[in-house]
Amino acid sequence: MRTLRKNYSEAADQWEALQTSSVPVLYVGAATCGRAAGAGEVIERLQTEIRDRQIAAQVVEVGCLGLCCLEPLVVVHKPGSPQVCYGRVDTDRIVHILDRYVLGDDPCAEWALGTMTPGEVDSIGKFSEHPMMTGQVRHVLRNCGVIDPKDMSHYLARDGYRGFMKALELGPDKTLKEVKKAGLRGRGGAGFPTWQKWQFCRTASGEPKYVICNADEGDPGAFMDRSIMEGDPYSVLEGMAIGAYVIGAESGYIYVRGEYPLAIRNLSIAIEQSRALGLLGDNILDSGFSFDLEIVRGAGAFVCGEETALIASVQGDIGSPRQRPPYPAQAGLWGKPTNINNVETWSNVPAIILRGGKQFSGIGTKQSKGTKVFSLVGKVRNTGLVEVPMGTTMREIVYDIGGGPQKKRTFKAVQSGGPSGGCIPAPLLDLPIDFDKLQEAGAMMGSGGLIVMDDHTCMVDVAKYFLAFLVDESCGKCTACREGVAQMHNILVRICQGEGRDGDIELLEQLGTYVKDTSLCQLGGTAPNPVLSTLRYFRDEYEAHIHDKTCRAGVCKSLVRFAIDPDTCKGCGLCVRDCPTDAISGEKKEPHHIDADLCVQCGVCYEDCPFDAVLVE
Amino acid sequence: MSRMGVFVCWCGANIAENVDCDEVARYAGTLPGVVIARSYKYMCSDPGQKIVTDAIEDLNLTGVVVASCSPRMHEPTFRKAATTVGLNAYMLEMANIREHCSWVHNNRHEATEKAKDLIRILVEKVKRNVPLKEIEVPVTQRVMVIGAGIAGIQAALDVASAGYEVALVERKPSIGGYMSLLDETFPTLDCSQCILTPRMVDVMQSDKITLHSFSEVEQVDGYIGNFKVKIRKKPRSVDMTKCTGCGDCWNNCMARNKITEPVRPALDDGISEDVMIKVDAILERYTDQAGMVIGILQDIQDEFNYLPEEALTYLSRKSDIPLSRLYGVARFYNAFSLTPRGKHIIRVCLGTACHLKGGPRIAEAIAHELGIESGETTEDGLFTLERVNCLGCCALAPVVEVNGTVHAGVTVGKIPSILAQYGYERECIQV
Repeated sequence: MRTLRKNYSEAADQWEALQTSSVPVLYVGAATCGRAAGAGEVIERLQTEIRDRQIAAQVVEVGCLGLCCLEPLVVVHKPGSPQVCYGRVDTDRIVHILDRYVLGDDPCAEWALGTMTPGEVDSIGKFSEHPMMTGQVRHVLRNCGVIDPKDMSHYLARDGYRGFMKALELGPDKTLKEVKKAGLRGRGGAGFPTWQKWQFCRTASGEPKYVICNADEGDPGAFMDRSIMEGDPYSVLEGMAIGAYVIGAESGYIYVRGEYPLAIRNLSIAIEQSRALGLLGDNILDSGFSFDLEIVRGAGAFVCGEETALIASVQGDIGSPRQRPPYPAQAGLWGKPTNINNVETWSNVPAIILRGGKQFSGIGTKQSKGTKVFSLVGKVRNTGLVEVPMGTTMREIVYDIGGGPQKKRTFKAVQSGGPSGGCIPAPLLDLPIDFDKLQEAGAMMGSGGLIVMDDHTCMVDVAKYFLAFLVDESCGKCTACREGVAQMHNILVRICQGEGRDGDIELLEQLGTYVKDTSLCQLGGTAPNPVLSTLRYFRDEYEAHIHDKTCRAGVCKSLVRFAIDPDTCKGCGLCVRDCPTDAISGEKKEPHHIDADLCVQCGVCYEDCPFDAVLVE
Repeated sequence: MSRMGVFVCWCGANIAENVDCDEVARYAGTLPGVVIARSYKYMCSDPGQKIVTDAIEDLNLTGVVVASCSPRMHEPTFRKAATTVGLNAYMLEMANIREHCSWVHNNRHEATEKAKDLIRILVEKVKRNVPLKEIEVPVTQRVMVIGAGIAGIQAALDVASAGYEVALVERKPSIGGYMSLLDETFPTLDCSQCILTPRMVDVMQSDKITLHSFSEVEQVDGYIGNFKVKIRKKPRSVDMTKCTGCGDCWNNCMARNKITEPVRPALDDGISEDVMIKVDAILERYTDQAGMVIGILQDIQDEFNYLPEEALTYLSRKSDIPLSRLYGVARFYNAFSLTPRGKHIIRVCLGTACHLKGGPRIAEAIAHELGIESGETTEDGLFTLERVNCLGCCALAPVVEVNGTVHAGVTVGKIPSILAQYGYERECIQV
């Protein structure tokens, strides 16, 4: 077997050279979220400055560190100093940082988030002690934001593909045992033991076999898969190669959402590079094992996250789920045994094999091992990707890492698991996160989207939102889902318009149960969850909408009237600027007033007011 | 000279409720040739029948019309009664003023008028009737079943098991019909071959059934009990005593394969050269075209900005993928558009985080600003507004994507400046 010794030593040299570079190195987070916040302009400006002023410095584009609310992030590494991470670096700030720190001695402490490598810089704390980083364990995200996702030598230098090589040495049986020892469960939502899934496919009769990476991250509010693919695509490829080796598959597909162009680009580059190195293709490293990968671009259908629908879509058909069994492990792609795991699951595999299953299973709870990446978003101060050990409580995530609700709002609930999931209300905040515990609370892990809601969020509206989403995304195959969810949505629309009737809640519950019991796939089977879960914990909000015709959160237009509290209003004029109907008037620094006749209850003023002076009547 | 009698039945309230029976009887009395017209509550009762038979005898009637229910109900009753007093049964007819009139109308006046019409027609008919005599004719006790699908096979087997001879005619070389093409039957998902094949064997084994396969009925003459049928047996050119039905000749017949080739339009029929060149270039990138339909459509959309009918038609002809399947896929996935889109495509994210942070408000405000709804394109062809269920930038919500560039933390106030980057000019309002 070839060992790529030369490639590894070259990669290690390159990486070392970058770490000990004689010129300052600036790492810019250039994943989709960074670019959305303006990283593209920052890089452009940086390159212009370096070229025009002939500054000796190097720019490296990296993936996402996970602190999305502080994007664009720039890490500056001056020779002899530790790496310093800066947040909210716009085109002006980058010039300041260049002038004051890169060329001068002032480390711009006011914008610094922390030092990332050993050593001290005046009055800058450690990055690992930043509130958003406390309690985080970087296992899956170990390379995201650290390596250049388009440079394979960075990945190799950080032990890339060593897990795969170890697997080739161990042989399929022992490799599978390591995954079993690790206790890894599927990160896509259902939490099915990964080793068991592999075992089924491995022992199934039929040739050829396939492995698929489900990268159709459809749950709105979740983006960890995108971040992994953009920031560390190699780990996905390596995980898939290990899985394919265990199962005996020679080809694999990565089904990526069409909405993730950058992920597709970075994956394509990674596949090309892996092929060039002989880590994909025929007779890999002379081991006799052949494996190659192809990317399939999704075309915008939530239901394609369901494995049988995904297979149909890969085959070029409409993504309609089918009855299981037979499970894909028996008859999947083109009727052949197929193993499907999601991005995060695959990405977990290389380190498990390299460091051993025991190390992985040392983290987490009894039933849920390892770490889980969550996207912490919604009405919370710090938003971004967080990777925590299983068993961390929701309170630690929302309050310690997330910094709690914004402004002076109060926390209401966390929605987890996307449209198939449910709500975790304030009293359950101390629930340790774990596949089974969340299930008991009526929510589910899903792919890991955590959406924080505060007292300005109407739970009836949230349920209505999810159902509208599902009505839109139902493939239409089963009557129960196609018509049932639409009827439930109609009832919610009515309730939100102030036309709720006695018995609506019971009707919703009844319909919800029917849809749950009679749908073919999990999209329909979990479609009523947003309603049933909010009814379980926020029944009073539904009752207030139906009986008192009020929406306390100020969201449901027909039930709300806005007014400005003259004592709290500072007359900043923000609401005047944004009001679409010019319904707000008032002199600067004087209390403003809303003209009820012109107001269309859009809620812009209510949401924007920095002083919470807009009240719901 | 005809001497007609008309007897109008109330059928309790069944007819009388909606038809003025007395008025109808009075009218019938005025019709030419009618010598007696009576109405009675239940004409089928013994006293009712007696009214009819008495009238026939007393007035020497030559024809009778009973206006009551359907002839299927009581025609035999009245005809039998008539024959007891010497009137030929076929000189009595029924005017159906119940099922065809009172039961189906609720306007009493109009129903009454319709009853009058029905009676007048029948009176004129009976005047022209001639007395008929019933005779017995011999019947050939053989049955022909046309079509040997599952229904024809079962009918033939049933008749044969009742002891009669059956001629089973099938147009195709083999019996079995459409069921032999099915895998499962609705709604029980039973195995269709397991139902069909034993019956096919039964047909061959039955000594009562004569099978005429590869034959067509050309002519049917005669009447019930005495039909003459001409069956054309097509030339099989196969010795049926030796044929085992292996199907080799069928599969390998050059002539058949040639004949069944569907007529295809020319590859370039109605397709512009530009479209052909572009689609060809896209197809070159794919080796497995059937499996990569979605990818091909994505590339076509990237090229043309939408999926033009011309391009899809050409793709279908070129790749042998049915056009219906291409449209099925195109309609299923959100990413495809069958109508031309604007130069700049604005996609407002409506993922959960964006929803909470005011995404719908942003969508509304952009729609208001551009004067178009989601899915529409501005008149100048500059912007198309779409919604997307999550772009995966949830931490920076609400976000809007224009031509693939994501704008983070959008507020209503920022919209005009974002649009301005793409050449949008706000109409100035004169104050």
